Amino acid sequence: MASKPRVTAPEQKTGNVVRDSSLALVPETLDPYLAVNALIWLGGPLNAAEIEIARLRNARTVNCVFCRNVRYDIAIEAGLDESKVAMIEDGFIDSALSDREKLILEFTDQYLGNPAAIGTDLQQRLLAEFTTAELVHLSMAISHFHGFSRCAVSLGGMPDDMPRMEVSLPD
Amino acid sequence: MEYCSFGVSGMSWLADAADRQQVLAAMPELAASYTQLYAQLWTLPQLPASSLELCRLRLAQLHNSAVEWQKSEAELAPGQRLALVDWPSSELFDSAERACLDFCEVYAMDTQAITDAQAEAVKQHHGDAGLVALVEALGLFDGMTRLSLLWQLPVLPVEGQ
Repeated sequence: MASKPRVTAPEQKTGNVVRDSSLALVPETLDPYLAVNALIWLGGPLNAAEIEIARLRNARTVNCVFCRNVRYDIAIEAGLDESKVAMIEDGFIDSALSDREKLILEFTDQYLGNPAAIGTDLQQRLLAEFTTAELVHLSMAISHFHGFSRCAVSLGGMPDDMPRMEVSLPD
Repeated sequence: MEYCSFGVSGMSWLADAADRQQVLAAMPELAASYTQLYAQLWTLPQLPASSLELCRLRLAQLHNSAVEWQKSEAELAPGQRLALVDWPSSELFDSAERACLDFCEVYAMDTQAITDAQAEAVKQHHGDAGLVALVEALGLFDGMTRLSLLWQLPVLPVEGQ
């Protein structure tokens, strides 16, 4: 992984972690990106703790150090704690996570691994647990997090490790 | 090439929907914002839409997605679509397009394997902002391709074919 940044972020700082990042080099997509990000977190039927479970599973697979180590405060407020985060690992099927949470992880893994191969068994269990809007919300959340965690990795500058950090949703 | 195809008619398992927009209709506000973000890609000054379209189609090939391969988002030079599978040996792609396609292929397989030289090659043609635009676009294209496969969207008949 490239530890040296491959692009230079704008010098002018706003205090907004996204607007101050290299994404600001493409101002045309900045506001639309932030609008999608806000709707992913706040505009759907799944709560922030459920969204965070999918985000962290993706972060672990992509190995985005930053994504892995941040926690969204709204997810913590919605009930996600570190004991639950620790269960988002291999073997989660046998963990104390709820069936609903395990399904979120199974769906995330299917997206990340082999999306075309989703079987009818998983489809039926998802449809029994989630509404269509919830499944669309989850799908778009995973896709959003996957794309932008890979964006972060692709642009370099990722530390080898960093402490856990609580963050708020950027405006 | 062979592509994953879930039939020429029918619906996604997830919703009573035959295409992406119909699936996204379950979340209209998010659909509108996403559509705006996606549409913005095709008008960016940092990268030509044709280079983005080549990368989008290459991702469709690498994911074997008939649905995404079937789409056309921007005009390409004559012959490029057919030659895309063999782009490294084709003379139909210029050096800027090659830099983007080379980056795109490694991105698709293992993002962490992208080399500084591959990133630098994109920057030589499109600058820092062009590289950022490219990775943003690849994220959206890869995401939509995966979702087309995950949702098992059917391949729809193309008008005029």
